[in-house]
Amino acid sequence: MVHILGIGLTPFGRHVERTIDHIGGQAVRAALADAGVSAREIEGAFVANALGAMLLGDTTIGQTILSGLGLRGLPVVNVENACTSGSTALWLAWNAIRAGQMDVALVLGVEKMCVPSLGLIDSGRTAIDTQLGLVTPASFALRARRHMHEFGTTHAQMAAVVEKSRRHALMNPDAMFRRAETVEQVMAGPSVADPLTRSECCPIADGAAALVLVSDALARRHGADIRIESVVLRSGDYGNPADLVRWKTDEETAARAYEMAGRGPESIDIIECHDAFSIAEILHCEALGLCAPGEGGRLAASGETALGGRIPVNVSGGLLSRGHPVAATGVAQIVEIATHLRGQAGDRQVTGARTGLAQCMGGDLAGDTKSCTVAILSR
Amino acid sequence: MTGAEALPPFAEDIFVSKGKGVQLLGSRCPQCGRAFFPRTGICPDDGTATEALRLDGEASLYSFTVVRTKPPFALPAPYPVGYVDLPKHDLRVFMLLDPDRIDALEIGMPMRLASGEMGVDLKGRRCIRPYFTPADTKG
Repeated sequence: MVHILGIGLTPFGRHVERTIDHIGGQAVRAALADAGVSAREIEGAFVANALGAMLLGDTTIGQTILSGLGLRGLPVVNVENACTSGSTALWLAWNAIRAGQMDVALVLGVEKMCVPSLGLIDSGRTAIDTQLGLVTPASFALRARRHMHEFGTTHAQMAAVVEKSRRHALMNPDAMFRRAETVEQVMAGPSVADPLTRSECCPIADGAAALVLVSDALARRHGADIRIESVVLRSGDYGNPADLVRWKTDEETAARAYEMAGRGPESIDIIECHDAFSIAEILHCEALGLCAPGEGGRLAASGETALGGRIPVNVSGGLLSRGHPVAATGVAQIVEIATHLRGQAGDRQVTGARTGLAQCMGGDLAGDTKSCTVAILSR
Repeated sequence: MTGAEALPPFAEDIFVSKGKGVQLLGSRCPQCGRAFFPRTGICPDDGTATEALRLDGEASLYSFTVVRTKPPFALPAPYPVGYVDLPKHDLRVFMLLDPDRIDALEIGMPMRLASGEMGVDLKGRRCIRPYFTPADTKG
């Protein structure tokens, strides 16, 4: 078993004046202090950054950041896996400890993307779909329109995801967007890709999140009380015809994570999922088994996924309101869940939370995702 | 679209345009029968060399959206895109849709392929792109 000993965050937002070293360093220092371990006790580090090579022209950012914090002479792995970069770093660190390669591992997800050279996110400039106009909001708008057609999902139900996200973020001092927004306001905003309005698309951000993971032996010594029950990483199936509203890759990643953890959705107390767009949370709730296929829109509008409901989803504000610094997101989801399992989430605390699930997804190929992760934690 | 015939396609091996007939270029695995678009030289499932396949037959609209942000590649603003079903080949393909028929788009409607000057290519040159338009579009 692998345990979480320390968590740290560089709150998400626009850190235009700060370097990526500074943004990443803050989260690492916070996680080390929270864990009560020194830099010299870290035996391996997995550093996720998705866009630095493209936007900043920087590679091997992990060593650059960690060398300035006194982490040297250890294995450092740089990880790029689109929006699952951070959760993939978690998967690697978890496996390194399980394999007996190390007893203390650092996971860092860091992104600096509020720079003038960033355009709309796509699947890579040379991809044929990109050259035919497939920008990321369009790929989710196509899912939204089909979901409305097949299941009678309404735009108001999709907007309810955003209304809830904003309400949750009001209780999270680390969130980027901290202002209420009604369903009517969400729907009245400018359209990005019909039917998705601007508020239904997550904002870009700078930020970082870090974890210190430890083996059983060190967990006992330090009194770590959060267990990682499973982490599953899976690429897409890229089948054709792709079903845009029954996301097999999402469903199968979740099913494997539940199986490995020996529990199902009914025994999960809090969920952070990859709500890059309003419709994305609806699709992920279905794939995670929180409702029947096609019922995600009605679930979102029912209040069952809000704080105080049957199964709170994205109590942090999610990508939609906390912000989405690509490689930091997957790690920040784990930080959020760990905070609740410790009972330290303040006004947004999910009462008595003992188990949590984090789901991430990234990249777009042949109507499927390139990468999906699901992790289950407990205390 | 005067002079459009002289412009290059936005990319090679994606479509052919002869007079009014426009077809997407796919491929098929002779071993397992699976069809591909865009064309792939080797079937990823069994490694067999594929055969060229022109994606003819009926087409219907599976889903669509109209992108209203600043368009990439100087595409029209706004521009519609969608997934179109090609049941004869058991394929669902992502494609641009006709920017002049945005108000006519409905899921399930029959479509046909067209092509014309639209935007620029990776090198910034004016170019021809294929797009699906409702089957009842004149011209």
